[in-house]
Amino acid sequence: MGDVSTKISIEHLTYKYPFAKNVSLEDITLSIDAGQSIGIIGRNGAGKSTLCYVLSGLIPRFFHGKITGKVTIDGEDVPTMPVEKLIRKVGLVLQNPFSQISGAKMTVYEEVAFGLENLGIEKDEMHERIDTVLRQFDLYKKKDENPFELSGGQLQRLAIASVLVLKPEILILDEPTSQLDPRGTTEVFETISQLKTLGITILIVEHKFEKLVEYVDKIALLHEGKLLGYDTAEHIFSTSEIETYGVGQPIYTALCKRMGLKKANGYYPVSFGETVALLNGLKGSGMDRRTYNG
Amino acid sequence: MKVLSLYVENDTFIHKLEPITKLLYALISIVITFLFPSIMVGAVFVAFSLLLAISAKVFKRMLLLLNVVLIVLLSMVIIQGLFYRQNVTPAFKLWGLTFYKEGLLYSLLLIVRVVNMIISFGVLILTTRPSDLVDNLVQKGLSPRFGYVLASVLQIIPQMLSTTSTITDAQRSRGLETEGNLFQRFSAFFALLGPLVLNSLVEARERAMAIEIRGFSVEGKRTFVRQIPETKADRWIKISLYVAFIVAVVWRIILWVM
Amino acid sequence: MVDAIIKVDGLWFAYKEDEYVLQNIDIQFDDKPTAIVGQNGAGKTTFVKVLKGLLKPSKGDVWIAGTKTKETTVAQLSKIIGLVFQNPSDQMFKSKVIDEVMFGPLNIWKDKKDKNFAYEQSIKALKIVELDNRLEEHPYDLTLSERKLLCLASIIAMDPKIIILDEPTIAQDRFSTRKLAEIIKELIKDGKVILTITHDMDFVAENFERTVIFYQGRVLDDGPTEKVLSNEENVVTAHLELPNLVKLAKALDFKTTPLTIDDFVEGFSTYKKAEG
Repeated sequence: MGDVSTKISIEHLTYKYPFAKNVSLEDITLSIDAGQSIGIIGRNGAGKSTLCYVLSGLIPRFFHGKITGKVTIDGEDVPTMPVEKLIRKVGLVLQNPFSQISGAKMTVYEEVAFGLENLGIEKDEMHERIDTVLRQFDLYKKKDENPFELSGGQLQRLAIASVLVLKPEILILDEPTSQLDPRGTTEVFETISQLKTLGITILIVEHKFEKLVEYVDKIALLHEGKLLGYDTAEHIFSTSEIETYGVGQPIYTALCKRMGLKKANGYYPVSFGETVALLNGLKGSGMDRRTYNG
Repeated sequence: MKVLSLYVENDTFIHKLEPITKLLYALISIVITFLFPSIMVGAVFVAFSLLLAISAKVFKRMLLLLNVVLIVLLSMVIIQGLFYRQNVTPAFKLWGLTFYKEGLLYSLLLIVRVVNMIISFGVLILTTRPSDLVDNLVQKGLSPRFGYVLASVLQIIPQMLSTTSTITDAQRSRGLETEGNLFQRFSAFFALLGPLVLNSLVEARERAMAIEIRGFSVEGKRTFVRQIPETKADRWIKISLYVAFIVAVVWRIILWVM
Repeated sequence: MVDAIIKVDGLWFAYKEDEYVLQNIDIQFDDKPTAIVGQNGAGKTTFVKVLKGLLKPSKGDVWIAGTKTKETTVAQLSKIIGLVFQNPSDQMFKSKVIDEVMFGPLNIWKDKKDKNFAYEQSIKALKIVELDNRLEEHPYDLTLSERKLLCLASIIAMDPKIIILDEPTIAQDRFSTRKLAEIIKELIKDGKVILTITHDMDFVAENFERTVIFYQGRVLDDGPTEKVLSNEENVVTAHLELPNLVKLAKALDFKTTPLTIDDFVEGFSTYKKAEG
């Protein structure tokens, strides 16, 4: 695992919003390989969104304030990268489905075109890319509809499509399902699955841990601006300190901790599948091991 | 209504023209009718604009638009007919009031100008998608930021109206009276305006972030996915309009000098 | 048996002619904390607005504490039934926390010449949500979670018997959700009737005795949470999900429906004994 596959590298990143009393991010160091999926967790106010803004370039371009430390993508400095180059490397999807629509376009098709128009992409290529991305995210049938008519889940898919049409290799999602109902949430997570198979490097801020652990390789735990842990889900959630940070944990982990049940490798289970397997094993022999597909 | 737009979808010759061509016609026809204090000139343009409306198959809607200003036009007739300062020759009497010929003719001039304004702009608005017009203007040099504001306002306003209804519900749930005497209604106003303004600002900020992420601030060439091409017809029409404009100005100057 | 504090009889509601968003709802609410669940568009928010008197029934009637909503005003109803809206930005407009909370009480107790009463009620409410040390701050200086609690306080301050929470856990982290659950418990102890609209099935399982499932404008299921959330067919039809522990229990073939970790642990040991 050399520098060849390192996609994102953050070294000693510290940032304070203008007019803020305290720093929002303090001495963050971590690196992410190409194609990895990373979950970012922490209490509200821990700095998760701020980290997303730094990686996508909104800080310092939109938010100003001073960044210290080094943030690079493919070895190139992010804060100083020209915007037209940066947005072809990183895409960002935010929480609120409705306020991500530009509002200036009357159809889904044109909405997806927005970013391409800004970059001056030629018309023929625009059409090709838009068609591809609309089909990829199951929005082709909606292409002539007004974006404001879409449901929450569809809007988040539209946001993802509008950003991916610029062909970034990294996608950051900041609490993408927080305002969606269960169906919309499922749609978004299924889309994330799809992105993984396409080899896109994904960073996702989420509070729905039970779902999150099924999709990410590693989890970064932020607390009051500091990076307190960056490891696999089982490492992060198995520690007893996790409770002191008030972050919470997957309910399965909490359950197993209460029952004192660890996996063979000494860690507590974090996912539904692991918990079922573990508890099934306790049922004794001769039992009907039915696997459940929820 | 999701969009504040009067656009009627169709594919007539007029629909297919570049938006700027239609805008140019509206502007130039208005200027010319105002340059000449001649009812004839005005009537010619009204007739021409009406022809355009018919050709674009929006005649019926045009009548609806005109209906809206009917009262204004009628009041112009009455006011000018009665009180125009150059009134000398009586034309007829109605309800004991004398209407004068000079006033009536003047009001006819005004009417013809206003009607032309409405029909020529009406043709533009009814046959052009708002975002296409904005794109066209940005192509010709309008600041993209300004263009964005113009284009988004048409959709954001209906959104704000729907937010207002939620805000009204929330405040009524806290005992706010929205009916009742003038004082009550006045105090209610701030309880509704405050959240609306704050909400709109918060949303505007989020939207600004979202468009920034999609390269809105990138300098340099912009392209347009729905580019409406400038055809030969467009070029001929534009040339004719410029020529007509120059001729009219020159003629007006000559008349004025004489 | 407690009398029904909310009674809904043959309720139909349409925004537009003949497009019924609510169809033939017959339901009653007593003092049990109840969760109203369903996907977006199922009619939950409309239903709650009808209860609040913001919308009048197209057909049928609604009684709140014996008063027909058709025969009274929203302002009058807000003394008995309060609704905490989802988005704090839809109601906040004062520049101090205390002023924001006092807005409601001042409106409904206009006849009480004593402004102090409204003040005291507001302080009490802010204590319950633990914001009583932030009285002079500007509401927008609070975090989103705190703003949501502020809105809750602004309704508690009006001292209604019934409090309805619209999607209280959206955009909240786990810490805030737990805090909210504690506040709800305290309100129930104080004798309040709590209803909530939510998608968060774990939140429902842990805090609400009764669950009503809305689907396409009708009540699909209604009953004790344990029973309603163990009926997978209904839950899936309504485009909802089972709470995580119930999901687990089903995969393991439990005979019971655990709503909390305690339930699960108990259920598991009984289960093991039965198998042993």
